[in-house]
Amino acid sequence: MVSQAYNIENFMMRYEESLEENNFQDLKFHNVTKSYKNLVALKNVSLSVRRGDIFGYIGPNGAGKTTTLKIIVGLIKDYSGEYLINNAVVSDTKSDLSKLIGYHPQDVGFQSWRTVNSALYTFGRLSGISKSELEERILFTLQFVGLQDFREIKIKYLSGGMIQKLRLAQALLNFPKLLILDEPLSGLDPTSRFQIKSLIKALAQKEITILFSSHILNDVEDIANKIGIINQGNIMKIGTPSQLQEDFQLGNIIEMIYTEDSHKCLELDVIKEVEKIENYSNTMQLIHLRADVNADEVSHTILKKIIQQKCRIRSYRFVKPSLEKVYLHYLNGEVK
Amino acid sequence: MKFLIIFSDEFHGFFKSKVMFVLWIGLPMITILMHFFQPDMAEFPFSILVSIVLSAIGGTIASAMIGTSLTSEINQKVYDLFLIRPVKRITLLFAKFCAVYLCLVIAVLISLILGLLIDYCTMGGLSNTFMRTLFESLATSLAAIAISCSIGLLFGVTVSSVPVTAILSVYVGNQLSALSILPALLVDIINPLALAAIIGIIIPTILIIISSIIFIRKDF
Repeated sequence: MVSQAYNIENFMMRYEESLEENNFQDLKFHNVTKSYKNLVALKNVSLSVRRGDIFGYIGPNGAGKTTTLKIIVGLIKDYSGEYLINNAVVSDTKSDLSKLIGYHPQDVGFQSWRTVNSALYTFGRLSGISKSELEERILFTLQFVGLQDFREIKIKYLSGGMIQKLRLAQALLNFPKLLILDEPLSGLDPTSRFQIKSLIKALAQKEITILFSSHILNDVEDIANKIGIINQGNIMKIGTPSQLQEDFQLGNIIEMIYTEDSHKCLELDVIKEVEKIENYSNTMQLIHLRADVNADEVSHTILKKIIQQKCRIRSYRFVKPSLEKVYLHYLNGEVK
Repeated sequence: MKFLIIFSDEFHGFFKSKVMFVLWIGLPMITILMHFFQPDMAEFPFSILVSIVLSAIGGTIASAMIGTSLTSEINQKVYDLFLIRPVKRITLLFAKFCAVYLCLVIAVLISLILGLLIDYCTMGGLSNTFMRTLFESLATSLAAIAISCSIGLLFGVTVSSVPVTAILSVYVGNQLSALSILPALLVDIINPLALAAIIGIIIPTILIIISSIIFIRKDF
């Protein structure tokens, strides 16, 4: 049942068939500022998202993520600075924008009388999809998100996770070229999260651009090829996941797991490039190298020592700092 | 085209949420009750009394209905998914106005036809003078409901609290709907039918434009 409902290959095939020419090239913000009375939500935000990017937008609550996304989809119009799509200022291209974009809002209400079908029907018609095509698209999209059996059910009776899926369904209905997802993975069961992450990756392979915000850093790390960190309305950093990790110069960590009979047989403290050693368990050590050293050379020295001292190890690997660690360091202002 | 989609959607919503039944059955029921409990009004036609009473009740319902539904739907972020699509904000407001107005007009007409039937049975026929007075009264009622609807629209987009919108819409909507009757009472030479039509178009148009400007500038 689940695998039938969540068939990405079928969905992508249908998506490709219906996709008109992908005319999205890029999206740019130049010094965009937005204030709500005395509260500055965005301060001179500049960013760019290119075709095919999976842009993960992260930051604490109230950082300005949703405000940014709402400006992109045209729900907020009163801001200063420049917002361009395909190098054209957006205020002049409202109708083109809605054809291009699919938007999954973080929280949105539906009238209490609405059924799943009536919501998708109205949004589909307003997006310009013909009646004849809409019927099939609704069924197809609902099958994909796993809501096909709830088509005639009133939305007020759906669970939070189901409503989240409905939000995604309406965003995908017009087969957008730029998909804006505000917290798309929150409140979903593991299967649905996996499915949506797979969908995002599959869409990006077809050069559909995704901009999504999330609090779940593991998910962002899993799928984003570009990450923006925002805090208190300021963009702290934008880059690829590896750029973020490298720029931060957290230094490398080597994880070494010994066999039971030879734990900690190495005397690594004598190697001056080793900053500290954490003993996680009897058989596992984390060796923190200083940030300024050549990790490959130190690694070579350590491996030589392993052989010389005939230590038996099960695994030896470099561990990059997690996005969570990078994120926290940026937010705490410990960036070098 | 977009207007028709939203308008029919709103109308469908009234049907689904039973608002339509409450109005289309409730107002005619009031007519029947009025027939049995009306004060002694000598030769005053019953249907004209119905028209006057219904314009007051209908106007109050219209302003409260449109005002509260707009405020609560804005608060619940219902319009976000409409406004990211190629829909003009003024279209959204105007479609809502028309749907509420039409829903009430139908309710008033049903009630009035019922009143006419009662008059026909009790008076044994309907004179030309009677019919003219009835049309004037009906036009005034429709103008009053249009004014009330547009006032509800204005409060719906400006006030963020549903109870406050309801109170203001009921008070102000009901009071200002009297604008459709006042000039005719003050100046004899004006044709009440024409005056009701003019007032019923001009005031709602101005209020809809003001509401739309506020709605267009609103951040969601």
